[in-house]
Amino acid sequence: MVHLTIDGKHIEVPEGTTVLRAAQQAGIHIPTLCDHPHLTPYGGCRLCLVDVKGARTLQPSCTLPATEGLEVTTVNEQISDARKFVLSMIFSERNHFCPYCQVSGGDCELQNAAYEQGMTHWMIQPNWNTYKVDASNPYFSYEANRCILCRRCVRTCQELVGNFTLGVEQRGAASILVADLGVPLGESTCVSCGMCVQNCPTGAMMDRRAAYRGLSADAETIKTICTGCSVGCGIEVTIRDNNIIAINGDYDSPVNQGVICKIGRWQSLEAMDSGVAVKTPMIRKNGELVSASWEEALAFASKAIDTTRQSLAALASSSLSVETLYAFKKLFVDGLAIQSVSASEMGKYTNAQKSLAVTNGVFEGHLSALNNADCVVTIGEDLIHQHEVVGFMIKRNLPKGTALICVDTDGSAYGNLPNSVIKINPGTEQQLVKGLIAGMVKLGVKSCACDGCKNPDQVVQDAANATGVESTLILDAAYILGNAQSPVIVYGSTVTSDVDASTLTTIKCLSDMISAEMISVKGNANSVASAQFGLDQPVDMHTAKAAVIVLGDKQPCDELLNAVSKVNTKIVFSAYQNALVETADVVFPVNNWAEEEGHFINMDGTVQKRSQILAANGQGKASAQAIHDLAAQLGFSIDDHWMEALQSTPASVTIA
Amino acid sequence: MMTKSVTTSNLAALQMKYFHQFQQRRIHVQHFTFWGELRPQHLKETRVILQHSGMIDPREIQEYLAVGGYSALAKALAEMSPESVIDEVLRAGLRGRGGAGFPTAKKWQFTRNSPGLPRYLVCNGNEGDPGAYMNRLLLETNPHSVIEGMAIAAYAIGAERGLIYCRSEYPSTIQTMETAIEQAYQLGLLGKNILGSDFTYEMDLARGAGAFVCGEEGALMESIMGRRGEPRVRPPFPSIRGLWAKPTNINNVETLANVPHIILHGAEWYAGIGMENCSGTKTFVVIGDVEKPGIIEVAFGTTLREVIYDICGGIKGGKQLKAIQIDGPMGGCLPSAYLDMPISYDSMQAVGSLLGAGGILVLDEDTCMVDLARYFMEFTQGESCGKCNPCRNGTTHMLEILTRICHGQGRLEDLDMLEWIGEYLPQVSFCGMGQAAPEPVLSAMKFFRDEFEAHAVEHVCPVHHCRMPIHAMAAAA
Ligand SMILES: Cc1cc2nc3c(=O)[nH]c(=O)nc-3n(C[C@H](O)[C@H](O)[C@H](O)COP(=O)(O)O)c2cc1C
Ligand code: SF4
Ligand code: SF4
Ligand code: SF4
Ligand code: SF4
Ligand code: FES
Repeated sequence: MVHLTIDGKHIEVPEGTTVLRAAQQAGIHIPTLCDHPHLTPYGGCRLCLVDVKGARTLQPSCTLPATEGLEVTTVNEQISDARKFVLSMIFSERNHFCPYCQVSGGDCELQNAAYEQGMTHWMIQPNWNTYKVDASNPYFSYEANRCILCRRCVRTCQELVGNFTLGVEQRGAASILVADLGVPLGESTCVSCGMCVQNCPTGAMMDRRAAYRGLSADAETIKTICTGCSVGCGIEVTIRDNNIIAINGDYDSPVNQGVICKIGRWQSLEAMDSGVAVKTPMIRKNGELVSASWEEALAFASKAIDTTRQSLAALASSSLSVETLYAFKKLFVDGLAIQSVSASEMGKYTNAQKSLAVTNGVFEGHLSALNNADCVVTIGEDLIHQHEVVGFMIKRNLPKGTALICVDTDGSAYGNLPNSVIKINPGTEQQLVKGLIAGMVKLGVKSCACDGCKNPDQVVQDAANATGVESTLILDAAYILGNAQSPVIVYGSTVTSDVDASTLTTIKCLSDMISAEMISVKGNANSVASAQFGLDQPVDMHTAKAAVIVLGDKQPCDELLNAVSKVNTKIVFSAYQNALVETADVVFPVNNWAEEEGHFINMDGTVQKRSQILAANGQGKASAQAIHDLAAQLGFSIDDHWMEALQSTPASVTIA
Repeated sequence: MMTKSVTTSNLAALQMKYFHQFQQRRIHVQHFTFWGELRPQHLKETRVILQHSGMIDPREIQEYLAVGGYSALAKALAEMSPESVIDEVLRAGLRGRGGAGFPTAKKWQFTRNSPGLPRYLVCNGNEGDPGAYMNRLLLETNPHSVIEGMAIAAYAIGAERGLIYCRSEYPSTIQTMETAIEQAYQLGLLGKNILGSDFTYEMDLARGAGAFVCGEEGALMESIMGRRGEPRVRPPFPSIRGLWAKPTNINNVETLANVPHIILHGAEWYAGIGMENCSGTKTFVVIGDVEKPGIIEVAFGTTLREVIYDICGGIKGGKQLKAIQIDGPMGGCLPSAYLDMPISYDSMQAVGSLLGAGGILVLDEDTCMVDLARYFMEFTQGESCGKCNPCRNGTTHMLEILTRICHGQGRLEDLDMLEWIGEYLPQVSFCGMGQAAPEPVLSAMKFFRDEFEAHAVEHVCPVHHCRMPIHAMAAAA
């Protein structure tokens, strides 16, 4: 601990804290521009200058380490004059014609800083050159005329996202922000997570959808979670007049620590912006879907269910809330005792873990283990295109020396970033893992007493033969893995779909040997809950006479459309018009994700609540409520003891 | 080709053998002076590090051995502990020649005491200042003196790896150094168990892409690590967290070249050269309006008058001296009143200037100071790395204003503006470059204010020697 004085206030902070952070912790405001609380200090803008007793010149507080006995002053005339100088330099660098800027009037940190220093003008004329505008990315644009070269975006892309797309080309006054080696953003390696947009202090990076819808500074912001996949990232939704202006990552969320992907930021709004909402319940009459009241529709549906009970199938999206899935299970499994009931993924992401949890209890760790991992093995999952935030958490640590071993049938989705890419024959994950185990024994970096490891040379050779991978490659990977201090193994559907958990058992053996954390990605937002409720059985819809399908705000996939194409009677709960709704016999309008609240269990078992953001339009109800209503119509009442139900079955993760 | 390793026991015999060969070749002496500027030693010069330059063939390690080369390394390894090497250098009073004059032994001690292995030693041969080539000449005429100095420094610090950073714009330097390193390896003077001791020191060459700022320690390390050449936040200093986050010691070429002489002849001998608190010699490249421009080596304490009038033959064409510009784009100018000032780090600081790396630009009465200020600002503006806002924009505005003045479009307020920006850059810039950038302009304005006013207000150049349109305009009027 070190002790320092800032503006006369005595402050104690841990060693290594900067003066800026120390001041912030003590509630003292120092203006900044290039600093961002979640990025490495950069010291580029020089706005955060403070006076340090005994120092020759003013010091930038964002890079200055707090040391014992330091005496700091943050406000005096000299500092204020220097800050005005600093701001004058920035304003005159490019074209800051604020009235034309979309963030002007509260969202621009540069403009705000100038107001704060009482600046009314600056003494140097602006730079009249025009700079590029890059509007090639579908979601955001880059307007170099407003860029102050603070590199917050560059550091964001590198340190938080691990995508390394942005950089600065040229030097000095010719410095210009570029994507990759100077290609338009839309043609670059950018994955459109928008984190750079979120962290840009000015109007240079612009969220195209949000532009001119209103300023965050005078709109309401609500914290909630993204339910686009099983990561369950914390997000902050800015709304005005019952409209979503923008979505940002929530830095307070322990799950994602602020980082989100394009689904959470932009794609989750696409259906809301361009989908056609189902406004009223509908019933098919004389071959036509016509509007009906809730009573009529419920009566129609319950009659259809009653008459087809013996050959009824029911399927719910595993992206629905726990409350909805619980009501669904209570009604169809416990109440109506129907055999063919499941959730959309039918256990693809949870089967193996659930089997193994019966004997092993909880064996999977938290996502946050990735932050401290010195070696990550990914098996059978492309974390670049799915569960992107998990991929970000892995890639951003690679510059720190974290080793990445990628095992996949398609080679590496991470390009040439992994230390080791092991491209295996389909279905040979287990042999490969056995090879890694035996490899470590053979190399003497780890020991094992099991029978399988008696003849490690043979096992490695067998693994090489089965997987089609050179044995030297297996040994290389085994060496890296065996020497890791805090390894993490991340696996996906090729491992998890197997009810027998044979590959997973071997991975568990590997993990025990090297004390690795195990993490599996789980597909949809509520796959874990679905599995815990038993909604993970294979269901053959082809033979059903009638089907109840709860889509929520999701679109039906082709597979589902095919499966139900021969089903006579279809009862659909949907927020939007779509191909399934068109062929349905009864349609219940339900809310979209922003309109209903509910709980979600993410991939590592964290129970999170999604808040209601918008007031629902039309006659749509929350999905859970709609199922409760249907149950009532059928004569069942449903309790809300979902937490006990969740915990009554052994799970691979701690549900809390 | 020799492949047998040199050891402490056969070093003397080898040196003797090569000395005889060398004597027979002495007839070719001038042949090895690649640089016309390196003239025979003037009486007022003291040559320590340049004493063999031009005498020996830099492409043959035997010639360096012939003049006693690597004896200092042998002595250090055989007779001295790393601590006593540091102590010797401390008592010699060696100060860093890269510009700031920081005590070398202190820096070594910091790095040696810093936790973390391996430690790195870097020799800074970036030398990006326009007109300066002290380091280049030394590296090209006596590369082994720097390699030997580095090996001793590495031994003292406990560094097993060393790098010499050379700019790609010096292809012949790179070639010379590469040859020298290779030959030193062949003789076992680099690598494992040097001279039969248990000291191991591996050495390599790193190429820079020729940015001036890459001479700054942080940017230098970033550049070596393959990143954008931008200075780093300090603290932590390189001694604590340098290359690949390991303790790293960075020294200038000339600093390291002094080390073998100190070890060989002792701290007392070295401390006897130069001044109290500023011992030894310094090389300077004297350019501009002198009769005999070129590279010189003088003991600290020599006056500017001796340098300009005695060693360099006075002002060209018998003209009057107007000003002396020291350390180019990062230094200031001094009027002729300062001619009798003894040269040292401290005396320069006392007059508000810095001694810098060793560039001396002599200006005669025909020099337009505004034009000169603009020239240096053009250099700095173009070399600013752009990391920090004040330097990136401040130098741009200063250049813009100076250019405007030189075009006869200035006004009095422009001078205030130059002073305003010039006042803040040293206070708020990220690194030494932005901090020093206004110095050539401010010092010129301090001593030659009327010249700036004539340009800005009356739109004429009093010396009629602007290379800018204002002169042409004045001539036409
Ligand atoms: C912009 C800038 C350029 C520099 N260029 C050089 C250079 O070319 N060579 C050099 O030795 N030091 C240069 N320095 C000084 C180095 O940062 C550093 O102080 C020096 O290499 C330390 O070596 P020394 O202790 O032996 O002097 C430069 C400093 C700055 C701020
Ligand atoms: S980025 Fe900020 S300062 Fe620049 S024009 Fe926009 S509002 Fe003004
Ligand atoms: S785009 Fe924004 S974040 Fe990036 S450097 Fe420019 S102003 Fe900073
Ligand atoms: S959107 Fe994401 S990936 Fe693309 S440049 Fe910005 S931070 Fe990098
Ligand atoms: S002062 Fe200039 S050279 Fe130094 S970091 Fe700032 S912009 Fe780069
Ligand atoms: S916030 Fe400290 S320099 Fe930018």
